[in-house]
Amino acid sequence: MHVLLAIFLVLLASPALGQEDELPSILISRQLAALEGIEVGQTVRLGSDPDGSGARPFRVAGVYEPVPDPARLGMVPREIRLHLPDLLALTRGPDEPAGTEHVETINIALVEGDDARAFARDVNARVPGVAARPTEEAAGAAGTFSVLQRFHLAIAIVTIMAATIFLLALTIMLVDERRETVGILRLIGLPVRRILVQVLVEGLLIAAAGCVFGLALAVASESLINAFFQWRYDTALVFVRITPALAARCFAIAVPLGAAATVVASWALLRRNALRLARR
Amino acid sequence: MNALAFAWLKLVRQPARASLGVLGVAAVGALLLDMLLLSEGLVTSMRDLLDRTGFDIRVTATADLPGSGPRIPAATATAAALAALPPVRSAIAVRFADAQAGDPSETPLAFHGISGGPGRPWTVLRGRDADRPGEVVVSESVAATLGLEPGAPLVVRAACSAAADAPPPAMLTVAGVAAFPFDTRDEGLVAGSLATLDEACGGADADEADLILVTSAQETDAAAAAIRSIRPDLHAATNEQMIARFRESGFTYFRQISAVLSAVTITFALLLITVLLTVSVNQRLGEIAALRALGLSRRRVVSDVLCESSLIVGLGGLLSLPLGLLLAAWLDGILKAMPGIPSTLHFFVFDPDALVLHLLLLVATAVMAAMYPMLIVARLPIAATLRNEVVS
Repeated sequence: MHVLLAIFLVLLASPALGQEDELPSILISRQLAALEGIEVGQTVRLGSDPDGSGARPFRVAGVYEPVPDPARLGMVPREIRLHLPDLLALTRGPDEPAGTEHVETINIALVEGDDARAFARDVNARVPGVAARPTEEAAGAAGTFSVLQRFHLAIAIVTIMAATIFLLALTIMLVDERRETVGILRLIGLPVRRILVQVLVEGLLIAAAGCVFGLALAVASESLINAFFQWRYDTALVFVRITPALAARCFAIAVPLGAAATVVASWALLRRNALRLARR
Repeated sequence: MNALAFAWLKLVRQPARASLGVLGVAAVGALLLDMLLLSEGLVTSMRDLLDRTGFDIRVTATADLPGSGPRIPAATATAAALAALPPVRSAIAVRFADAQAGDPSETPLAFHGISGGPGRPWTVLRGRDADRPGEVVVSESVAATLGLEPGAPLVVRAACSAAADAPPPAMLTVAGVAAFPFDTRDEGLVAGSLATLDEACGGADADEADLILVTSAQETDAAAAAIRSIRPDLHAATNEQMIARFRESGFTYFRQISAVLSAVTITFALLLITVLLTVSVNQRLGEIAALRALGLSRRRVVSDVLCESSLIVGLGGLLSLPLGLLLAAWLDGILKAMPGIPSTLHFFVFDPDALVLHLLLLVATAVMAAMYPMLIVARLPIAATLRNEVVS
């Protein structure tokens, strides 16, 4: 069993010892290894006092990538994982007998996950001195990210509104350019509905093409944005992910919106007299 | 007729497209303004909040943010030693703990225990201050949620992280209802003396503090230097230095996201205005060639296009200001629902510098968007265009 060790432990790297195989092993986060120049197989001394007294040697068994934690964005995870008995031995007070130490948290996986709240209530009632909480209550960060999701949705709504307005302005100009063509089509006998269907199909095709281009641009920029933020925060977190569901949602919004803008812009033109349109 | 009046007439002649162009710029401009306000809003608001508490130096055991690092031992004596320094007016040790109301609602609470003084990091609204052991003041939200008034009993289960066992529920008395600068929507606040909190924690880690709040007598930097000189093991940070720490940790995401969205928004606006103007110019090539043939100079027709762009962006930009402030209020409401955010903290704060930057960016957008259509107009062959117009 491993636990996280806070970074204020004293860390002194030293050359490998002869009896290193007998030393307790630890894992070191990639960021801490890079910061302190520690390599696998090296021996380090860890202590819980800032002055380094009582430090003990440990063998670095490996370097690990910490699980990306969105709640700790911006904090470089300088972490060490020890076996729990090693950590307790390291932090135990001189007058504290072995076996009387405490741990902050015990994580429990239930057979039936739905019973978490009832289980926590049961533990609180039966075991005095312990406070049990379901993970969903303990993980306050989940609320943060649902709020961020709502924030990004609001930004997306405003962007779509702005894009729709511009789209309408553009389609009005483009439709206006074809006023004469539409007039002639009307004069040679094509009914308004037929022209409207043609405009709708044209709008759908243009909107679909635009949407595909937009998605291609998003996919292309996905790795760039992720690379930038992963570099900026030194994390393996994924910031942008274009999923099929997301692409489908974009398509479902953009294509009808584009087609509707074309039809709305054309409607005013089609209601006019054919002779006036053709005689421009 | 000057170029601006001529451009205005051209816009008025096609009200639908002109209105849509202006509205589009207004929407994009509003978003841009909000992103500029967001980039520094949280920092500005936090600085204001820190300044309003009346304490200008925060002392912690490490450079970590208060509550996230190790505690200061012997807090009462340390606060007293700091308060005795000539450049220091007062020092208060503060310890934070999570807690739950002992009733069936199990309302989550933040329990603050303080030692030293004078001065308290809260303002009593009703009742009196928690002067005696076992007394606390509660925030308005706690009073409302639990139906508490001064004199009412309150049972609290403190969850002190370093304690070996969860302590038994503490029986406390509500001395008053207070306003806390860092009160949050999701977690009510309870505060009392450090001894009261230590007792609620079952005596675990007694007389330890997460931070010591210091008010300097005159010069903040001199007081911070004096604290560092007698306690080099502690970290004394002025409000500005605290803001710098926040910048490095919690606030970077919003600055980055606002930078990215500002860049995307301005590019979006630039592209769309360029397309609008280019299509508009292409539709009027014959008209422009005729005006040139009538004697209007190249500079004059080019400035017409620039004025048209400026009018669309200018009017849209003006509209974007009230629209942006409304949008900022909406987005601020969304973000303030985030857990642990003080009610008085704002993500979008009006800043004159942001407004100036907004205007500069819009001016640059108007000029850049007009570049390509201006080039088309400047290079327009008059005779060939007129001939094409007649033949077609």
